[in-house]
Amino acid sequence: MTYIRVSSLDVTYRQNHMEVEAVKNVNLQVDSGEFAVVIGPSGCGKSTLLYVLAGLVKAEAGEVFFSQEPIVSCKRDTALILQDYGLLPWKTVLENAALGLRIRGIPKGIALEKTRNLLRDLGIEELSTRYPLQLSGGQRQRVAIARALAMAPRLLLMDEPFSSLDALTRETLQMNLLDIWQRTGITILLVTHSIEEAVFLGQKIYVMSRSPGTITAVVENSHAGDVTYRGKREFYDTCANLRSLLQ
Amino acid sequence: MKKVLNSDKKLGIKQVSPYAVSAVMLIVLWWGLSLVINKPALPTPAAAFKEFYNQLYHGLFFHAWVSFYRIGASLVLALLLGVPIGIILGRHKRLDSYIAPMIYLTYPIPKIVFLPVLLILLGYGDSSKIFLITLIVFYQIMVTTRDAARGIDPGYIMSVKSLGAGNGHLYWHVYFLGCLPEILTALRIALGTAIAVLFIAEAYATQEGLGYFIMDSMGRISYSRMFAGIIGMGLLGFILYLGLDFLEKILCRWKHLKK
Repeated sequence: MTYIRVSSLDVTYRQNHMEVEAVKNVNLQVDSGEFAVVIGPSGCGKSTLLYVLAGLVKAEAGEVFFSQEPIVSCKRDTALILQDYGLLPWKTVLENAALGLRIRGIPKGIALEKTRNLLRDLGIEELSTRYPLQLSGGQRQRVAIARALAMAPRLLLMDEPFSSLDALTRETLQMNLLDIWQRTGITILLVTHSIEEAVFLGQKIYVMSRSPGTITAVVENSHAGDVTYRGKREFYDTCANLRSLLQ
Repeated sequence: MKKVLNSDKKLGIKQVSPYAVSAVMLIVLWWGLSLVINKPALPTPAAAFKEFYNQLYHGLFFHAWVSFYRIGASLVLALLLGVPIGIILGRHKRLDSYIAPMIYLTYPIPKIVFLPVLLILLGYGDSSKIFLITLIVFYQIMVTTRDAARGIDPGYIMSVKSLGAGNGHLYWHVYFLGCLPEILTALRIALGTAIAVLFIAEAYATQEGLGYFIMDSMGRISYSRMFAGIIGMGLLGFILYLGLDFLEKILCRWKHLKK
């Protein structure tokens, strides 16, 4: 069943009376429970696409539907994870992770209790009284994931979530993400500029080109989700295919 | 690195002593100066502190209380006005572009010169003093808050908005809490100005407050009493400063983290 449907989407930014076309004629479709990836060079409008889906940026033209319904504003069942700045430095890990619930108006005690359980599930309970500045990059993104999951979203939007991490931490977090995806059946749309990440995670990979950003190819990648995929021949073949599509 | 941290901790335990040493040194300095000058206008510390103790229950405590609540009310009012206005101007650049010239034109005017006008308009009671101090402190807090709000990274706003935050949530969780360290620093700096203005405001046309107490003692040529008032004023400033310092340490723990 189709969960997100985007058709002929245009987004234009106005900067100093200049119009910059960020995204032009984008079409994409993500099924419920699917792990989709958008890959493209930096500045191709990938992030803009996510912001539109998160309801943070308005589209110039085109349509965005969530399970047949048009998007209005920030949806309650959509969570967004950003590369940096996701967490507020003046709040502890627990307060940060509970922020979404607090904003929804859930009483403090219940929100903190729920969040504490979630942090325990993710194995980062011992960090709960620390501040983001005291965490490593990987720990910060774990907390950002916890904050998103606390809202029990149906759709998880991720904007280059692992790109500032070292290779080992990145791979661990990719495994964790796959595990969360398989356990919860959540729909994920992840934006990246890493070919390996796209192939390892994305069942469906959308290739974007630069200025104006538009989708130039779709790669079906049925092996994604297999934790041993990284060592297999098909993995390298798909990577090579994707690389040629990006050039 | 660890060794450095350890020695830092040891210093932390003994942190009271540097203050005590400084206090003793200042008193010795004062004592020496009073011996050299040898005039009644500068009594020895011993005489001044003795008089301070004597005066405490003969009106000095009451005058100190009046000064305290004038300062306190002014700081609270300046915060209640300056912080929201500063945050709104920092967030909305268009609005700020209209208001900013007005601030730049009026900021450098020494507002203390309005004291006579305020005395005539608001009377000789508390309101003229509180208004004047509030006006002066308001500017410092508002300008600092505005600049801090301007500096908030848009990434934080996007991230909190994506959680479904409305304007109220953004103002509280991002702008207010994010600007709080700067607001408290501005308040600490403004405190010095506030006390100076308080002294001048109380020196005229009032019969309450430490400023009056000091000027009244001068009129009576009772210099040790005058110094009791000066000690009172100094302590008032010191206690308020310590209070703000303490608040900052509690509310802005994230600014004092050891990585």
